[in-house]
Amino acid sequence: MSNIIEVSGLKKFYKDFEAVKGLDLKVKEGEIFGFLGPNGAGKSTTINMLSTITKPSEGSAKINGYDNVHEKNKVRASIGLIFQEPTLDEKLTANENLMLHCKLYGVEKEIREERIKEVLQIVDLTDKRSNIVETFSGGMKRRLEIARGLLHYPKVLFLDEPTVGLDPQTRTHVWEYILKLKEKAGITIFMTTHYMDEAEICDRVAVMDHGELIALDTPEQLKSQVGGDIIEVSTEDNSTAKLLIEENYQTEVTEIENAHLSFRVDKGSEFLVDFIKQFDIPIKSVNLRKPTLNDVFLHLTGREIRDETVTQKDISKKRMRRRMH
Amino acid sequence: MEGIVAIWQRDVIKFFRDRARLVGSFAMPFMFLILFGSGMSGAISSMMGGAKAGPLANFDFVQFMFPGIIGMTVFNTAIFSALSVVQDKEFGYMREILVSPISRVSIAVGKVLGGSTVAVFQGLMMLIFVPFIGVSISVLMILKLIPIMFLVAFALSSIGLIIASSLKTAQGFQMVIQVLVFPMLFLSGALFPLSGMPVWMNFLVKINPLTYSVDMFKKVILQPEKMEPALRKAMGLDLTVFNHLVTFSNEILGVALLGIVFVILATIRFARAEA
Repeated sequence: MSNIIEVSGLKKFYKDFEAVKGLDLKVKEGEIFGFLGPNGAGKSTTINMLSTITKPSEGSAKINGYDNVHEKNKVRASIGLIFQEPTLDEKLTANENLMLHCKLYGVEKEIREERIKEVLQIVDLTDKRSNIVETFSGGMKRRLEIARGLLHYPKVLFLDEPTVGLDPQTRTHVWEYILKLKEKAGITIFMTTHYMDEAEICDRVAVMDHGELIALDTPEQLKSQVGGDIIEVSTEDNSTAKLLIEENYQTEVTEIENAHLSFRVDKGSEFLVDFIKQFDIPIKSVNLRKPTLNDVFLHLTGREIRDETVTQKDISKKRMRRRMH
Repeated sequence: MEGIVAIWQRDVIKFFRDRARLVGSFAMPFMFLILFGSGMSGAISSMMGGAKAGPLANFDFVQFMFPGIIGMTVFNTAIFSALSVVQDKEFGYMREILVSPISRVSIAVGKVLGGSTVAVFQGLMMLIFVPFIGVSISVLMILKLIPIMFLVAFALSSIGLIIASSLKTAQGFQMVIQVLVFPMLFLSGALFPLSGMPVWMNFLVKINPLTYSVDMFKKVILQPEKMEPALRKAMGLDLTVFNHLVTFSNEILGVALLGIVFVILATIRFARAEA
């Protein structure tokens, strides 16, 4: 399979802040490519550069064989973008939004009607075609945006947090649509997400932190990097327990949500028997499981991805960046 | 080309869909014409020495103001139409437009044309007041009004887009436009006759493009060529620049040229801001 996205040495700096520090990346045609990382890791900046919204400071990116800086319009015609924030015109009907998109992307007149029917069917909005978007629920708007992103049959669909803010049921639906789509149209999907279970669907996952790529592999490979089993334990005195476990078992212990400690061992079930017998501090609860992508993330960055608490610094950084745009 | 049509169409559809805006657009002209106009009318005729006879007896202030009010409506709608650019930036729709393969030039031109079209409709709607103020409007006049409304609106929409390209918030845009529009409107002869002004003010009036725009509307609606010279003078309808009597075709040419200059500036400004 050929590479549909080729990135080499891509950099972006804002004054003294380096948002993306030299990115090299290849995405194959037809792949679902996941892009993970905490807030402020440079994911959005990267997507913006790939989709020609932001000009890279250094390096180059090619999509569908076209250069992102010198052949912007050809790149734009090759990609579909679904942004984190809604970009529908809420005063218009679903049909008008889609029609406008057809015109902006030069979809030929004769096939517009057919295309609109097709994409509306994929996202189950056929009967809402002439309704004003303002009256739609959050999930319906999201689905309409996905439908719109597909209208011009893009080679690559960029999804920036496609399911953020949706209820679990709608999330599942949206995913069904995305997979249906991949099968039907064979398009390449490049997406960012906070939800690790969603990242499991990806063919390959890249993990980004502080503007750098720190891992790139299939979800299985990444998980086997962590290896063994994950033990999560809650005790009467977590801080002492942490020191004790680290000393006795030579493993790295991380504090996670709900006052739990998490660490990795080779053979979980055997370990657990001895551990519970021998451990001095009273144990409140214990849990054994296979590693997930979240553990990979934890392993690589020392942080959890899903409960990323946005620090004041991150917020001001984000604001600063927005102002510079 | 299709991209321009798409951008234009969106603004036009949204204009006709927004009922509140349609109705609200009558408020300002109504107040100026009926409340301010009728009030001033009495004052002006008593200042004219209560001329019961002679040419000045025909001075009807409300009728005088009417072309100015049409002008005011067209200016305001056109220049404010660029607000949609700022709103699109705020609400995110601009990103959808900007990542599409259509050029920045098409977006800018589409926006200016959309604003101009809406302003022409808005201006035409002011003709609803015609039966109440006693001017007579023929079909021919309306056919003449439409293209000149469009020319004026085109120039003003372009000015609006120049400003909108540099601003990020709707409040900021509204502030700047208010500060810009009011003096231009007061110095255009839309609200009072341009006669017997101080020299400095005369200068400002003559460099104000709206002066010539308003004068075009007056020439079509009030038909000064049929008036007595004294009345024409009192209404300030003999516009001169360096002792040259400005003709209707001079004005069309001037406003059209200005429109072309401003739309080029607006396109450059917009393309730079959204590169």
